[in-house]
Amino acid sequence: MKSPLRGELAMVRRLMVVLWVLLAPAMAVHAENKQAEAPSSMTAMDWLERLGPALNMTSYEGVFVYARGDRVHSMRIAHRYRNGQVEERLVMQDGGSGEIVRKGMDVVCVLPDQGRIRLDEVIPSGPFAEAFTSQLMPVSQWYQPALVGEDRVAGYDVVTVDLTAKDNDRYSHRLWVEKETGLLVKSHVRDVDETVLEHFQFTSLEITDDIADEKFEVQTEGREITRHLGDPEPQQSSVGRMTGWTLNWRPDGYMAAATPSSSNGKAVAFSDGLATFSVFVEPVKGVKMPTGASRVGASTVYIHEVSAAERPFLIVVVGEIPPETARKVARSVSIDDALAQGWIASDH
Amino acid sequence: MDERLRETLSAMMDDEADELSVRRLLSHDDQNEVREQWQRWQQVRDLMHEAPGTSYGVDVAGAVRAAIDDQEVPAVKAAATSARAGGYWHWPVAAMVTLALLVGFGAGAGWGTSPGEAGNALALNEADKVAPQLLLSTEEVALQRLDEQQLRQVRQYLLEHAQHNSVGAGRGSMGYARMVSANGGY
Repeated sequence: MKSPLRGELAMVRRLMVVLWVLLAPAMAVHAENKQAEAPSSMTAMDWLERLGPALNMTSYEGVFVYARGDRVHSMRIAHRYRNGQVEERLVMQDGGSGEIVRKGMDVVCVLPDQGRIRLDEVIPSGPFAEAFTSQLMPVSQWYQPALVGEDRVAGYDVVTVDLTAKDNDRYSHRLWVEKETGLLVKSHVRDVDETVLEHFQFTSLEITDDIADEKFEVQTEGREITRHLGDPEPQQSSVGRMTGWTLNWRPDGYMAAATPSSSNGKAVAFSDGLATFSVFVEPVKGVKMPTGASRVGASTVYIHEVSAAERPFLIVVVGEIPPETARKVARSVSIDDALAQGWIASDH
Repeated sequence: MDERLRETLSAMMDDEADELSVRRLLSHDDQNEVREQWQRWQQVRDLMHEAPGTSYGVDVAGAVRAAIDDQEVPAVKAAATSARAGGYWHWPVAAMVTLALLVGFGAGAGWGTSPGEAGNALALNEADKVAPQLLLSTEEVALQRLDEQQLRQVRQYLLEHAQHNSVGAGRGSMGYARMVSANGGY
């Protein structure tokens, strides 16, 4: 069944994509103009404005390290922006061999048949591509931006920008931005006490438009999974829609951004432009989950159980937010009895 | 691992490593060894910077290793008990130990439960058998091993969330890294 409302929302979403596509090059030109000025005159906000477009529209290859908690991963990446389309290939450098290749909205994953996770669980499957990027968030309202200095990362000159959280509902970020292109080459997510919770850094990098085509082709042998991003499946809900439940509190500045396509969960994602968290609300089924908080690097998982219409429901908050914030969010969810009943009924 | 690589790792921890040496480190044959060293140092560093006293720190580091090796760790229980009584422990230390316990178990293996929440009594009992009790923020925390199904479920949440800010946030590589990390280290 396809409701007229859903059709409309899909249309709005398509319009947003079109807008984004039209705006992005304009922003890049804007960024280039900025660059033509003496870089020394650029403020922290000027650098931040360049960051977004640069992430997609710069062509580069290199190796980056990603550490959260005590896990350190390194990945080789080739990224190219050509004819308005992003091509990207990531190859895992440690653990089992595996790779992710993306061409525009098509993604192919080859992952080692290792560990206990089903392969298809790892694939980006949602229609989120446009959700965040189409919103220009007033980041400086929630974070204090400051240029803290110049540095060198992976052989490139960078400027260091601090985004210090103005309240305790979010973490602070430090970004290292390459001077010529505005590419993010290193970042830290920090706790209030300056502990680095998450660390991302290029250890080798070459910014160049000259990357051979074969660097974007799948080379690992293994089971391949292909997905087209942004393919709305029939049952999908739309941007920011909460069905059957209400979030009575959320930290200032977080806006509903996207609804994931998960088949069984009812979820909404929120973003303040820098950090995101997702709220999942679903009837308790099969697996009995523990309640409370768990933290991996900068990511918190908070699970809370409530009952509505005499049935137990699980509320899960996952995001790069402090545990206390996740707890407050999870506990502010109220489930509408009548809707919960209908929800259970339609679930069977 | 030779002295130079060790120095690089150490520099990385202090955020001072240069590109060449990190590259050398990453091409080191035994990445497991590198990872282990990194973990050990991170623990030690955190203890040195955050722990109120070195002697406590040493105990905890030992206990963490023991816990990772899945052994009985009476020492930590004792430490945690005294911590609750005296309130010595700053929360970053507890968080560090919590995180350290995650090593080898993957995301969500260590679980904090606050008192008064449903199922807590059970959690505490189970926790007594396998894991030390620690302080998380102002809440009392029991660490509890998740079973296979629960782990899968938690990773599923992490993955779905990571998807939102991978392609979605235009973060590209960063988002993918989170996603792969959520997959429990490949």
